[in-house]
Amino acid sequence: MKLTRRNFLAWAGLSAVGAVACDVFEDELRVQSPVSLPEDLVKGKENWYATLCRTCPSSEGVVVRVVEGRAKKIQGNPNYPTNMGAQSARCDLGLQQLYHPDRLTGPVRLNGPKGSGRFDKITWDRALEALKKELQDRDGAVAMITPPLRGHAALISDNFVKAFGGKRIEFDSLDLNTYKQAIENVFGKKIQPYYDISNAKYVLSFGSDFLSTWISPTQWEVAYGQFRDSKHSDRGTLTHVDSRFSVTASNADRWIPIKPGQEGKLALSIAYVLIEEKLTPSKVDIDDLTDGKGLSALASYHPDNLAAELGIPEHITGSNSVSELIRTVAREFASQGPAIAIGGGSAGASTNGLFNLEAIYLLNHLVGSVGIKGGVILNPDSPIKELSAGSSSHTITDVENLIKDIKSSKIKMLIINGTNPVYGLPNWTGLKEALENEDVYLVSFDYLMNETNNLSNLILPDRNFMEEWGDDIPEPASGYQVIGIQQPIVNPLSDLDPRSSSDVMLSVAQDLGKDSDLPWKTLQEAMKSMSDQLFDLNRGSVPGSTKQEFWNNLLKQGGWWDEGATESSSVDVSNIVSNIVAKDKGAAVQSTGEFYLVPFEHNSLLDGRNGDIPWAQATPDPVTSIAWQTWVEINEKKANDMGIQEGDVLKVQSENFEIKGIAFLSPAQPPEVISIPLGQGRTIGSSYATNRLDGESANVLDMLENHKVNETGSLAWAATKVNVINTNTSLRIAKFEGDFESREIGFTEGEKLIKTTSPNGNNH
Amino acid sequence: MVVKVDHKWGMVVDLDKCTGCQACVVACQAENNLPINTKDLFMQKRAFEWIRIERYWEGDFPDVRARYLPVMCQHCGNAPCEPVCPVYATYHNDQGLNVQVYNRCVGTRYCINNCTYQVRFFNFWEPQWPERLQNQLNPDVTVRTRGITEKCSFCVQRIRRAEVTVERRERTKLNDKIMAARNYMPACVQACPTNALMFGDQNNEQDEIHEYFEEIRGDDHGDSRGYRLLEEIGTDPSVIYLKKVEQFQMEHD
Repeated sequence: MKLTRRNFLAWAGLSAVGAVACDVFEDELRVQSPVSLPEDLVKGKENWYATLCRTCPSSEGVVVRVVEGRAKKIQGNPNYPTNMGAQSARCDLGLQQLYHPDRLTGPVRLNGPKGSGRFDKITWDRALEALKKELQDRDGAVAMITPPLRGHAALISDNFVKAFGGKRIEFDSLDLNTYKQAIENVFGKKIQPYYDISNAKYVLSFGSDFLSTWISPTQWEVAYGQFRDSKHSDRGTLTHVDSRFSVTASNADRWIPIKPGQEGKLALSIAYVLIEEKLTPSKVDIDDLTDGKGLSALASYHPDNLAAELGIPEHITGSNSVSELIRTVAREFASQGPAIAIGGGSAGASTNGLFNLEAIYLLNHLVGSVGIKGGVILNPDSPIKELSAGSSSHTITDVENLIKDIKSSKIKMLIINGTNPVYGLPNWTGLKEALENEDVYLVSFDYLMNETNNLSNLILPDRNFMEEWGDDIPEPASGYQVIGIQQPIVNPLSDLDPRSSSDVMLSVAQDLGKDSDLPWKTLQEAMKSMSDQLFDLNRGSVPGSTKQEFWNNLLKQGGWWDEGATESSSVDVSNIVSNIVAKDKGAAVQSTGEFYLVPFEHNSLLDGRNGDIPWAQATPDPVTSIAWQTWVEINEKKANDMGIQEGDVLKVQSENFEIKGIAFLSPAQPPEVISIPLGQGRTIGSSYATNRLDGESANVLDMLENHKVNETGSLAWAATKVNVINTNTSLRIAKFEGDFESREIGFTEGEKLIKTTSPNGNNH
Repeated sequence: MVVKVDHKWGMVVDLDKCTGCQACVVACQAENNLPINTKDLFMQKRAFEWIRIERYWEGDFPDVRARYLPVMCQHCGNAPCEPVCPVYATYHNDQGLNVQVYNRCVGTRYCINNCTYQVRFFNFWEPQWPERLQNQLNPDVTVRTRGITEKCSFCVQRIRRAEVTVERRERTKLNDKIMAARNYMPACVQACPTNALMFGDQNNEQDEIHEYFEEIRGDDHGDSRGYRLLEEIGTDPSVIYLKKVEQFQMEHD
């Protein structure tokens, strides 16, 4: 080509373009369209959007700071009735979930034998085609496993799987079925009640670690802050009964250690004292409660008779004997009202868990605390007819039945929606083997790889909660009707192609003509129609003269609530005492071993659901300050006697199973108990969850024996006894505290770091 | 007219309310772009926590207590870290804040040595985030590089935003209620579910913390519920701790 002036300029122009294209990173050219989120792209300008947090089951109301289309910070929504602007250590984890480096980028299909981990990327069109084909081929033999869901997510999942002749199982490692059953039996309603701790003066709790992980901890912590009262002239007292030294035990004014499974007997013994010493208020009809039997209904729970059985040490908070302690607590509970008794966690997880919890909640009736300020406040039904205020709950027995159906080919297609049951169930349930069967078609909605979806035929990447619509009826609500709203506040990043699982189900149902109970095209449409229903109620917290204005304000507030919509039903308590006493039979813990094993939910990983998130792994446990590892909490003196030092790798053996963990010597652990947190021991997942040395990460669920709670069929996870063997190897322990013994060393008042005072202001 | 206010920021920690839940710790890490505390950092005892929860044992089973103590930079009025910095990377500003200027810091670590409360952290390595996680980083807070000392700033970026928005643009005097309502509180204070952490202006009579600072200034005998960490050393911290209330005394007392 001849070089003319025109040619030269053309070439020069082209090479300049080339230079620019080479200099600029590809990522920087992928600017999100300002058309879709114009206000978010104003440089340096922040917006706060209200939504719901989904990193723990309590789904707190949050506001999220968005700058230039990216979520930057999650904080409590100050208006939201449950958490009232506060947050837990788990709220901010949502950011790392949203921007997790290992998020699935698009749908994948198995290309090889199940469990081989060989997946091919496919387009959404092909993925949905495959899903539809399998649903049609296996119609009538479909089932779904989800975590406990509420609101429209539950409704859509239920109706979807029903349309294909199947049923949805709500899976939760430590399910709340026993607790809910006890609530229904004692308060007459299955919807979880609200415990008005903020206005209470005395809280007597049994086994429930309500300041760390139990049900709705942020809600309880907000109330606990008010219960403690800065001016401390009117400070409430917390007595906590627990078989291990939990976060709640460490904050209690008095911790009463007890043998696992004896909580119900202690509660009835307190009830005995309340009746014997006539401490119950006059409005409480003891004859009605005991069917006219009075004290004789509880004759076998005289404190003197039980003292040896309960496993409570002598001299707790200055008492001379266990029976004196029981009497002291009963007197405090009756005289320092309003008083609440709450129970859950390990107290409901021995084989007699239902008896324990019913006996505990009975105490509220005896001091007239039900339905009063500072007591147990029942929650009302949902304002929206089709959305239930009390989530259904299934137990491990239901999952076992499902596994049987899979093995007998009654179920040929399983949809797993956002949960990891292969990890979260003890191995003896056999779910993994059932899913490894090539005849079972497994579809997973998820955002990361895990033990369950690794066995899938098809994985559909789900949206993060900050990219998706949703709603929630918090359980428990704050004593009145509440509906929380979740809205997409950012778009998925350009290299990710997730779709809302609810939207996928709706569109598939419509395409296959199975949408008779799913009248919406998208989840957003379902929520809009709910908003219209709320508008028509013409009450509640959301202003708006038109439906559109109401919808906008609903999103802005992050939910709808009506403080006037409370529950007014009364509870029929006749003969309740005999019904509870009749349940007290059989041993609480059936296996043999030197130690009681009391597992517990990890403060940030919970039951393992947050295991892939770096902040969750790196947040020290409040009591031990350990991160990233599985530890075995053992009494310091007992360990010294056994020749165990901190960092030793211990083999913990139940009758049939064993796991390994690192010894943590605790001066507070009861000598006959060891406790191990849930949450570690992942085998497939992101590098944050896996990638551990032998002995520093284990799944405590794998060593639980097959014991169920009587009458409810829940897993009795605190009913296994174990032996502990030192493997004589040791590992460095990843804990935040120093290596020296962390006890106060100050000799003078000025050197003391933590100073104390008595309630009347006298310094100690 | 621009409102000119003399702030002196301070914090009050109610030990009777702190449950050790770690909400403040995670909130701080998210707000201030702290490096991810890998297992290795824990093993090396170099985990970054601008606010941390210390746990102390007292007694033995069954008469045992675990005490929680949240510790962050105490923003000392007489800070031992300040005079030893050869390059003035750390200095005291006119609002009572102990400020760390990252681009002045040359990494001598003298300040870390001299800090009474061990709240300063040194970046021995370049902090790493996987590419996608970088989307979460707060654009208001500098990401520190290798060789730099860092520490709690009382979320100075939020305080500055509050001053610019409320005091300069809206010409209203700041107080703790406005700061709480509009997300200007330090991340730890905002997150704390039990309200164990309180923040405000020591000079502003309307602020909740004011009375605690007034009380402690007039208290020579240790009678008030407020005290300051290792105050005998004379660092004059801007953080007051309220004594833990013991309903039942321990037997060994």
